[in-house]
Order: sequence, then structure tokens, then C-alpha cells
Amino acid sequence: MQERLHEIVRKLLAEGAIEYFIGYGQGFEPHDVAPCFVAQEDEVEKLVWGPLCAHNLSKYALRAKELDGKVGLLVKGCDARAIVELVKQHQIERDEIVVVGVPCQGQVDLRKLEEVLGLPLEVVKGVEDVGDDFLVTVGEEKRKVPKEQVLRDKCFYCKHPNSFEYDFTLGDVMPFSIDADKGEFALVEELEQLSLEERRAFWQKQFARCIRCNACREVCYACYCKECIFDSLAPRWIEKPPLLGENEIYHLIRALHLAGRCIDCGECERVCPMNIPLGLLFKKVQKDIAELFDYEAGMDLDQVPPLIDFKLDDQDPFM
Amino acid sequence: MAQEAHEEHGDGFEPRILVFACNWCSYAGADLAGVSRLQMPASCRVIRVMCSARVRPEFVIAALSKGLDGVLVLGCHPGECHYSEGNYFTRRRGLFLKQLLEYVGIEPERFQVRWVSASEGAKFADTVEEVTEQIKALGPNRPRAHS
Repeated sequence: MQERLHEIVRKLLAEGAIEYFIGYGQGFEPHDVAPCFVAQEDEVEKLVWGPLCAHNLSKYALRAKELDGKVGLLVKGCDARAIVELVKQHQIERDEIVVVGVPCQGQVDLRKLEEVLGLPLEVVKGVEDVGDDFLVTVGEEKRKVPKEQVLRDKCFYCKHPNSFEYDFTLGDVMPFSIDADKGEFALVEELEQLSLEERRAFWQKQFARCIRCNACREVCYACYCKECIFDSLAPRWIEKPPLLGENEIYHLIRALHLAGRCIDCGECERVCPMNIPLGLLFKKVQKDIAELFDYEAGMDLDQVPPLIDFKLDDQDPFM
Repeated sequence: MAQEAHEEHGDGFEPRILVFACNWCSYAGADLAGVSRLQMPASCRVIRVMCSARVRPEFVIAALSKGLDGVLVLGCHPGECHYSEGNYFTRRRGLFLKQLLEYVGIEPERFQVRWVSASEGAKFADTVEEVTEQIKALGPNRPRAHS
């Protein structure tokens, strides 16, 4: 599949169809994959594809605005929703970017992998996808790790293993079977079962740990505002120190701003240096939007976003 | 801050409730309640807005996180908005925000949306009284801002 990717990108660059291509490349560590920008034909070999390519590259689609030409992007099924949303939110024109869709069979959660191996990630020399397992190279040795132990949470209920929005595609895969016995919102529902007091304790504990590095905001495809509400000095929505109350405002307002826009790429949770389970917060947002307004972000270009729309017969418990 | 308020009033806790009232209906309703000399708890701080849809949900989150005991958003009855459809947006936001707040452990009673028209002075007084009672029962909101 990697060869096919190289072939397509080489052709695109040779034809001058794109100014550069954004895919995944090797990072500083062997287990580390980083976004990779390719502008020359002879650099194409740098591009990699595998189960460590977790990043949502759709954020880079916004770069097309600054260029005369087009930008090429490698997009997984889950990230294709971001492309649809960006077009819908009038941030990019669909014809400003060239999307290469890639079929994905699940991505590795490095934190889970570290736990399962019981070894620091530095010893991991590579991860391969072999059907229902991952083949992890540890030093000289190759270990088989079952997918259900190390998959990212969102991959358990993956609905789009194949990118549905693309100009070129690297092929299709059958969705792999994982008997997770859980629904998409299982973790949220678990938390909802708790009492209000317990939930408060849970979230206060999580928010108190936040150092407000803003990584979740920077990585989010939907956080493209030139001036973010949290950077505004007048009005000043939050104070700079990462105190519990301020952190709470920060995370709740982010949840609010992503209502109807969060496409469940899981990037916020992945980049959080404090391991705050932001996925749980944003999954709740998606759940409510789906239940209250029957809306799913990034699926249909013509569907109006829920909070700028209304129906005369919406629920009205307020009287 | 809420704790201070609690101690100040030895006889009981008087909640501080932020009320956003629509200029065209609820604010006039509040006015009517006043000129009708209806009795109601002095727990409210009313802010007049041109439409209940002017109330950004961020206002509510910030107010509650900074320690106010409750937020009450008052708008026109659905279908009676001065701008035709503002309160329909308020309704959707209210539905969503209430669930989000509950999820992170903020009592849903602390954020309420009600429809009060300009002729409903009595309803305004009743609403204020009812919400105040509910929040009194919950006790002060935790002072969050500087913990």
C-alpha cells in the first residue's frame, strides 16, 4: 500500500497538480510517526503508512488557503469527516485540496502499548499490522500483540475504515472484527450511570490536572479561529494560571464550541501530556448532539449544523 | 464568595442568581412584577439582553464556574420572539448545555431556561421564587474560581 501511495504522490508532484503532499513520515524515534511534508519527487520515499499513523492530517488542509496551488493530503476514513466539516464550515474549498484516501485497519494507542509491553516505548522498533494482531518489533524480537489490547478506543467502533471522501484511494479493506461487545458510547454511558457527586469528583480531578498547554486546541482540526476566545484580552474569558475553575471553563467552552463539529478523531486525548480523558467529554457532546438533534458531524455536506438551526417541534422542557 | 454570603446571613443562605432577561418580554415581565408590587426573593441580579439568544452559553459556564449559585435565562415563549426565531436557538442551546453541565457534575437546577412574556409579571415572581427555593435546597455553589 505504501508503494501505491508513493506512486500516486510522485505522479501528483510530477504533474504539478499539488505544491506539496502531507502524509506520515518517520519521527525521531522508531516508534514515532510524524506528519511529513513532501514537495520534491525524490522525497516521496519518506512517506510511510502503518498502524502508528494516528494523526488527523486534515488540520493541514487549512494550509491550502496560503498557497496558489493545491495541497495533497493523506486521509483516513475517520479523518475524512474533518474534510467534509471544513468545507461545510467554509474554511476550505474542496477543490483546493487533493485527498488521497487510505483504508485503515486500526491505529495503535501508544500508551496502551507501553502498558501491555511493560517496557518503555523506546525499545519498540516498529509495529506492523497482521490482520487481527499487531506485530511489534522489540529489539531483535518480534512480538504478537492482539489488536483489542492496544487499539485506540475509537477504533473499536470504527464506522469508516475506508475513506469516503477522496480523489484517489489506496484501495478498500474489510472492517476487521473485534468482539468488543461495547457500543460507541459505552464509556460515556458508564460515566452517566454514576451519581452527580461522583461525576463531579471525577471531572474535578481531571480538570485539576490540566496544565493548559493548549495542545488539545492546537491539534484540533476545528480550532482554526484566528483569535481564540481564550486568547482574547477584552473580554477576558479565563485567567492565565491553570487553576481548577479556569480549567473547567476552558474545557467546557471547548466542548461547547465543538458541539456538532467534533468528528471524534481523538487527537485531543492523544496529545494531552496529562492524560486527561478528553475523549469522554467530547464523546458526550457527540452523543447529545446525536440524540437531541439527530445530527452527526462530517457525514453530510448538506445537513445544517445543529446549533445554528432549529425545528419548531424541538423538545421544550422549559415552559 | 458563596460561602461568605452563606455566613453573612445567619438566618439562612441567600443564593445569588444571575438572570438574563429578554428586553421584549421577560424584562417587561419583571417590570410588571415590580409595579404590581409582587413579593419575591431578592436573590436575582438581572441583566437585560435584547434577546435570549444573545446569551452565549459561555456566559453560563463562566458564571457557574466563577461561583454564582445559579443562572436563569428568561425569554419569550416559543413562537413569540420579537426577532421571530431567536428563542428557538436558545431552546436548542439550553437543551444541550443542561446535559453537558450535568455530565460534569453541576446540578441541572443551577442553570434554568424559562419562558416569561411581558404580561406575565406573576409568572416572573413565581419563577424567581421557585428557582431560589431549588437553589437554596442545593446550598451554595462551590467557589471554583480560585481553588
